[in-house]
This record gives sequence, C-alpha cells and structure tokens, in this order.
Amino acid sequence: MTPRILIALTPLLLSAQSFTQRGFLDLRTVIYPETAPGDSGRAIAESLLRYEASYRFTPALRLAGAIDARADTHLQTERDPRLDWQDRTLRRPALSIRRLSVVYGRGGVTAELGKQFIRWGKADILNPTDRFAPRDFLGVVDNDFLAVTAVRVTIERSGNTLDAVFTPRLTPSRTPLLNQRWTLLPEGVRLPDIGSRYPGAGQFGVRWNRVGRGFEHSLSFYEGFNHLPLFDAARFERFYPRLRMFGADAAVPLRWFTVKGESAWFTSRGRQADEYVQYVLQLERQSGEWSLVGGYSGEYVTRRRALFGFSPDRGLTRAFLGRVSYTIDTNRGVVMEAAVRRNGDGAWIRTEYSQAFGQHWRATAGFTLIRGDAGDFLGQYRRNSHALLALRYSF
Amino acid sequence: MNRLAVALILAAPCMAQDARAIIEQVQRRASVNSERYEGTLQVFDAKGRTSEKRWRYDRIGSAGSSKVVLRFSAPAEVKGVALLVINHPDRASDQWMWTPAIQRDRRIALQDRSTRFFGTDFSFEDLEERDVDQYDYKLLGEETIDGAASWKIESRPKQSKSSQYTQSVVWVRKETYTFARIENYIKTQLARRLNYSNLERTQGIWTARRLEMHDLRRNSRTVLVLEKLQYNAPLKDDEFTLQALRRES
Repeated sequence: MTPRILIALTPLLLSAQSFTQRGFLDLRTVIYPETAPGDSGRAIAESLLRYEASYRFTPALRLAGAIDARADTHLQTERDPRLDWQDRTLRRPALSIRRLSVVYGRGGVTAELGKQFIRWGKADILNPTDRFAPRDFLGVVDNDFLAVTAVRVTIERSGNTLDAVFTPRLTPSRTPLLNQRWTLLPEGVRLPDIGSRYPGAGQFGVRWNRVGRGFEHSLSFYEGFNHLPLFDAARFERFYPRLRMFGADAAVPLRWFTVKGESAWFTSRGRQADEYVQYVLQLERQSGEWSLVGGYSGEYVTRRRALFGFSPDRGLTRAFLGRVSYTIDTNRGVVMEAAVRRNGDGAWIRTEYSQAFGQHWRATAGFTLIRGDAGDFLGQYRRNSHALLALRYSF
Repeated sequence: MNRLAVALILAAPCMAQDARAIIEQVQRRASVNSERYEGTLQVFDAKGRTSEKRWRYDRIGSAGSSKVVLRFSAPAEVKGVALLVINHPDRASDQWMWTPAIQRDRRIALQDRSTRFFGTDFSFEDLEERDVDQYDYKLLGEETIDGAASWKIESRPKQSKSSQYTQSVVWVRKETYTFARIENYIKTQLARRLNYSNLERTQGIWTARRLEMHDLRRNSRTVLVLEKLQYNAPLKDDEFTLQALRRES
C-alpha cells in the first residue's frame, strides 16, 4: 500500500475506530456467624478490580478484552501475581485475562475467536443447557461465570439463529478448596490436593434458536466433557467425564406471565458418570416495581453410576426456585432468591439490599441463609450461612 | 331532528378523518431513513431525589416498521445495557433487553410492557413507535399549548393493538405538525403526560429536543434531552439484531 493511499484512507480508518471502556472496583466482606470444621476463618475480605475495554478497527471488526485483579484475606486467591489465561488454577488467579476475543460481524454472520462468554438457555437461576459456562464455585452459592477459549460462529436469518461453538480445551469450573469451609471434611482431617486430570480433546456444541411471533424456542446439542468434576476416590484427583447433551428451551409469553422451560438429557460414553434428564419450568412476571420468577427444577436419573463428585447444578434440582426483586426508587432495590428442596431437606435463601450513591458508587448488604440435613447438597452447607457487605465503584 | 344535530352527524366522520390526516401528516413530516442521538435522562422522584442516565439511540426504517437500539452509556454500572425494539405496523413491537454483565438477552413480554424502563418514567411501551394505523382518532378541538396553537386529538388503540393505555389525548402544533403533548389514560385515570418542548429544526425536520414524561401516579418525572441529533445517519439493518446486541457488548 503506497503512502498516498494510506493518507487517503486515514480519515476513513479513524472515523471507523472507536474505543470504549468500563469497569469497577469491588470491595466486600463476607462474615460467617458459625465456624466450620477445618476452617477457623469467620470473616473474609475480598477485592476485585475489573477493567473491560473494546476497540473497533472497522465497523465489522472489534477486539474486546477484560482483566481481573484480585486479592483476599483467606488464601482463596493466588499470591503469585502472574497473568493467568487458562483459569485452571485451584485458587483464583491474582491477575487474569477475563476475556480477550476478536469479534467479526457482517450481515447476519458473527464470528468470535478467543476467550469469551457463551450463554445458552432461557431459564433463570438454573440452566441445564448452558454447557459452555463454567463457574467459579469457591463459595458454592456465590459464584461467577468463567470465560472459555473458543471459536464461535453465529448465523442469524429472519428469526432463526444457528450457533456453533468449538472449544479446543476444557475450562473447568473452579471447585471449593479442600481445606476450607465449602469442602466438608470431618474435624481434624486435612487432605493434600494432588490436582486434576484434564481431558485432551475439545468440545463442540450447536444450538438453533427460533424467534417466532410472541415466542422463542431452541434446540441444542453438546459433545464434550462436563466442566464439573468427579473425584477419583483412590487418588483424590478431579477428573472431567465425557458428556453428551441434547437440550431444548422455550419462552412463551402469555396474558398474565411468561412461561419458560428448559430441559436437557445428559448421556456419557465414559463409565463413571450418571445419565440423567434435567428440566426447569418457571413463570415470570413483572408488575410495577416487582419482578417475580418462580418455578421448579427436576431431575430424572436414567442410569446411575454414582461416583463422588461436585455438582451444584444437580444440587439445585428437585427444588422450588424463586427470585423476587423490588425497586424501591431510582437508587435502591431489594432482591431475594431462594431454592428449597422438594423434600424439605435443604434450603438456600439470599436477600440483598443495594443502594446507589451518585453516578459511581453502590453499596450492598445481604444475608444468605442455608439450612437442611447433612445428607442434602444444600443442607450440608448449613454452617455456611453468611452476611455480605460490599462497596463497588463503577467507572 | 334539528339542523345542528344533522350537521354534527355529518361532520363526525369528516372530523375523524381530519384527525387521522393530521397524525399522518405528523408521521410523514418526521419520516427519515434513520436517526441517531445521544440522550440525557434526568429522573426526579416524588421525594426530590434525582438520578441521571445517558443512552445512545439508533433507529432505522420507516414509521411503523422501524427498529430501535437504545444503549446505555451512563451511569457506569449500566454501561452497555441495551434494548432492541422491533416495531410492527400491525401489532405490538418485539423487545429484548441485553445485559452485558450476565451476557444474556431477555425478551420483554407484552404483559411486562407497562413497567418502567430502567428506573425512568418511560414504560417499555412508551418506547414503541405509535404507528398511525394502530389507532382510531377523533378531533376534540383546538387548544394552545406552551403558546402554540394546537389540535387536540383523541386516540384509542385498535383491538389488534395491545396497550396498557385505554386512550390517549394528543396535542399537535398546527404550525409545525409536531407533537406538543400526549396524555395517556388507563381507564379514566390520567397515568402519564409527555410534554415536547425546545423545538428546533434539524436537517429540515422540526424536532422537540426536550421531552418530559410525568408519571402522575408516582408523582415522578423524567426529562430526556436530545443531543447530537442526526437524521439519515449511516446505519445498517444488521446493527438492529440480537446478534448485534451481543457483538457490541
């Protein structure tokens, strides 16, 4: 390209360029009224600085990135300040690339390459079909999504969307640390963590979504590995079993409320993982300042192979789920979420009040109550009810 | 039957036709291929508390079947939240909300359209485009609004149009064929009043640069000021899809 052509193109390139950024600094304290076996910590302070930016090279081509910097008082965050990409560490990395992807969109085609967030499904609280959405479960009930390294191509044509995803390597969900309160070991027992066995192959998924006149529905398929681990009891090592999913979801707005349903059938070629059907049926309604979501999540095991594992998604099934939020005024709101097991063996209820101050600050106070029997997924964490105080500065 | 009654009966369809013609003229005069502006919203609640939001508004297409993307740029905690509205000439619009923090879109169901949009006094339905064919009109008379002689027109949604409002009363400035005020009623109660002011001519089109929505039941109001308004901006149809919402986050 000659200098003359470059000079001629400069105004065009500059006009197409755009840079956007946002982020926040979040400071929070989690207070546990009760002690737990093997973990004397009753108060944990955490800080998170998240910075997101995107740069548009041309109207069709954009680079998007985000970085997290963390620190805490309870050794849930690495002390080594190296920059992490893979999200495979047991502890949260002190510095990590949260997202870095190139997005190309032209006509009805969007291609995204790199570390990115992929969300499937239509239900709230629990999404059986959301297979490319591992989470950080260090605090089990307070969790955040992790990005996956993937190639994603989406084609949208007159109400139909075809979404194809390939991830060359598994990004696992982060599980509770072995010698902290969210892993339940008998008093005095401490185990060394000898790590995880990751699969060598990639994952693939495809989803077709149809937006019709007044309704939406999808069919999805996933072939890969579960991002939630099973445990090899002999070596106390995590491994990630093969998983194949056939999923469907739908949202149908009716006169008084919207009905949302999501269901997935999971099979496995491996011999260690259960095969089962998971479903969620929920009703949703907004009325004035109220937002109401209520439903039921169920599970039917078609083949039980039952190894010991960590499976919070299955732990929230056979349960009534709900979320109620109320906007008090332009700056204040309250939200309550709950999951109550059908047999009454476990319950989780979170209530949060938040208030904005000016254009940048928001304070949140909340309490999470966990009750139930020791044999229940939720009930086992009954000593982990906790209060939360958080202050966030957004920019 | 006396002469006056006959005259009124004969005039009634004629006045109805006039009312529709006026609204058609308003729509025709504001007709553009696309539109873009940056809006500043100030919300004043009943207790005097204020909050400020900013959004970028992009619109493409002809009246009645246009597409709109509203994308918040402030405050910082809602930066990137977006609303896609696809208007239809024969039925209620389709609307989706995109929340970048959870990377999810959510369809706004018809029954949810009466709720407030993001803490403002605009409801989701207020963000729809009012196509002339979706309402029946009746000329009620003439009044002066903010010093401008205006037609006063009653508009009622047709049966095919799903609306929270039973009827609206619309004032149209005679000189510029622009809206001066809209009062929206739920049953017989006045629910929201929208005032249009700061009229300016932009690219040959008279446009109100200040809109004030007053929610009379909550006694709160939202002032929307239009900045950097541009008609026939170079927007493309593929920027108004669910995928485009995701691409931009």
